[in-house]
Amino acid sequence: DASGGTAADCHPCPCPAGATCAVVLRSKEVVCTNCPAGTTGKRCELCDDGFFGDPLGQSGPIRTCRACKCSENIDPNAVGNCDRETGKCLKCIYNTEGSFCDRCKNGFYGNPLASNPADKCKPCSCSPLGTVGGQSSCSQVTGQCPCHPNVAGRDCGACQPGFFNLQSGTGCARCDCDPVGSTN
Amino acid sequence: PRPDVHPLPPGTHLLFTQSGRIEHVPLEGSAMKKDDAKPVLHLPEKVVIGVAYDCVEKMVYWTEITSPSISKASMEGGDPVSVVRSDLGSPEGIAIDHLGRTVFWTDSVRDRIEVASLDGSQRRVIVDSDLVNPRAIVADPPSGNLFWTDWNRDAPKIETSYMDGSNRRVLVKDDLGLPNGLTYDRHSFLLCWADAGTHAMECMDPARGDRRKVAEGVRYPFAITSLGNTVYYTDWQREAVVAVDRHTGEETDQFQPQKRTKLYGLTTTYAQCPSGQNYCSVN
Repeated sequence: DASGGTAADCHPCPCPAGATCAVVLRSKEVVCTNCPAGTTGKRCELCDDGFFGDPLGQSGPIRTCRACKCSENIDPNAVGNCDRETGKCLKCIYNTEGSFCDRCKNGFYGNPLASNPADKCKPCSCSPLGTVGGQSSCSQVTGQCPCHPNVAGRDCGACQPGFFNLQSGTGCARCDCDPVGSTN
Repeated sequence: PRPDVHPLPPGTHLLFTQSGRIEHVPLEGSAMKKDDAKPVLHLPEKVVIGVAYDCVEKMVYWTEITSPSISKASMEGGDPVSVVRSDLGSPEGIAIDHLGRTVFWTDSVRDRIEVASLDGSQRRVIVDSDLVNPRAIVADPPSGNLFWTDWNRDAPKIETSYMDGSNRRVLVKDDLGLPNGLTYDRHSFLLCWADAGTHAMECMDPARGDRRKVAEGVRYPFAITSLGNTVYYTDWQREAVVAVDRHTGEETDQFQPQKRTKLYGLTTTYAQCPSGQNYCSVN
């Protein structure tokens, strides 16, 4: 308030070097109006969209704003790709998830860090008949679905040799063929 | 200066969003009066994406993604009021039907298009299938048509429907990249879009389907708005608002704010509601 008539009327802006500020009339709150590149917020304490960090060190050491780190599993045309402070990724693509888009989503398996999107996370595609509980999730690394007894294959899609009746939905039964009349 | 709300002086303006701010640039003819550019609203903790203007009540509406919401504030001064706060993922494009008194928005996380009254009541999902990355949305209240873009990298498209979501049709699907920006000019009946994948600006008459390239070499457009023969777009790489003559494709002006960071939404505000082409105003 410059109208008080004393030398102490004006205070320096509580903003990083070079930033201007203004007082919000209603709340008397001081707001920085021209934060340094890449930063924003009332005190320039936040990173711009697409970046994360803690430029003023409000909750620990100072971390300058850096681009979202999401294992190349975000789309640069999207907005709000990561949390501005923690960097937690918010818009993972290619069927990935996790704070850094570094895991396959439930129901997918593969290497989320592969360079070719086609090699990243593939659907488990578990066979509903051969999989315990008919579930659709598999080992995130190998893609192995949890099979009923005597069921084989990554996707539990076939009976083990010497077994039959995947259709039962509870596992395969031994063929029980007479060794005399069978060809093998 | 008051950083929260600067009343908008009379006349025609551009409103754009950048880093938690909604700024305005007055227009003189098609030229931007850059020296008179000012923040209209300062929302330092928000990431404001889309912006739309209600010419009847002189209110600005915007979408915000940090605590996903749709809010409004009077351009004659007044506190921001949030209109919709629940069940939002990433609200991006926003459009106003100034005749029907409704607001439309796209949500790129929930993958749907919704509508509500201007106070947030009577909210309804109008499109919730076959959307991957819906972004821009525009309304043409006199004809009752809605248009939107989806920048799905596998199958980008521009679609239209009536304002209740019925009669949905794909208008454009070939030779699109990342159609981020969309605008409809009811005087020329032209739907124009800006594409950050093909780096082109194109227009078509949705009724006739004729499509024409207006400009090439557009760097990284995000939003677009039209006024007369000029189209304006925000550009992520140039961090500027760029004006292009729709007939010649020539760039006529640019405004680069002092603050160097991405610009998002863009809209035109009229001193008065556009004198409509609707039946009531003809007679």
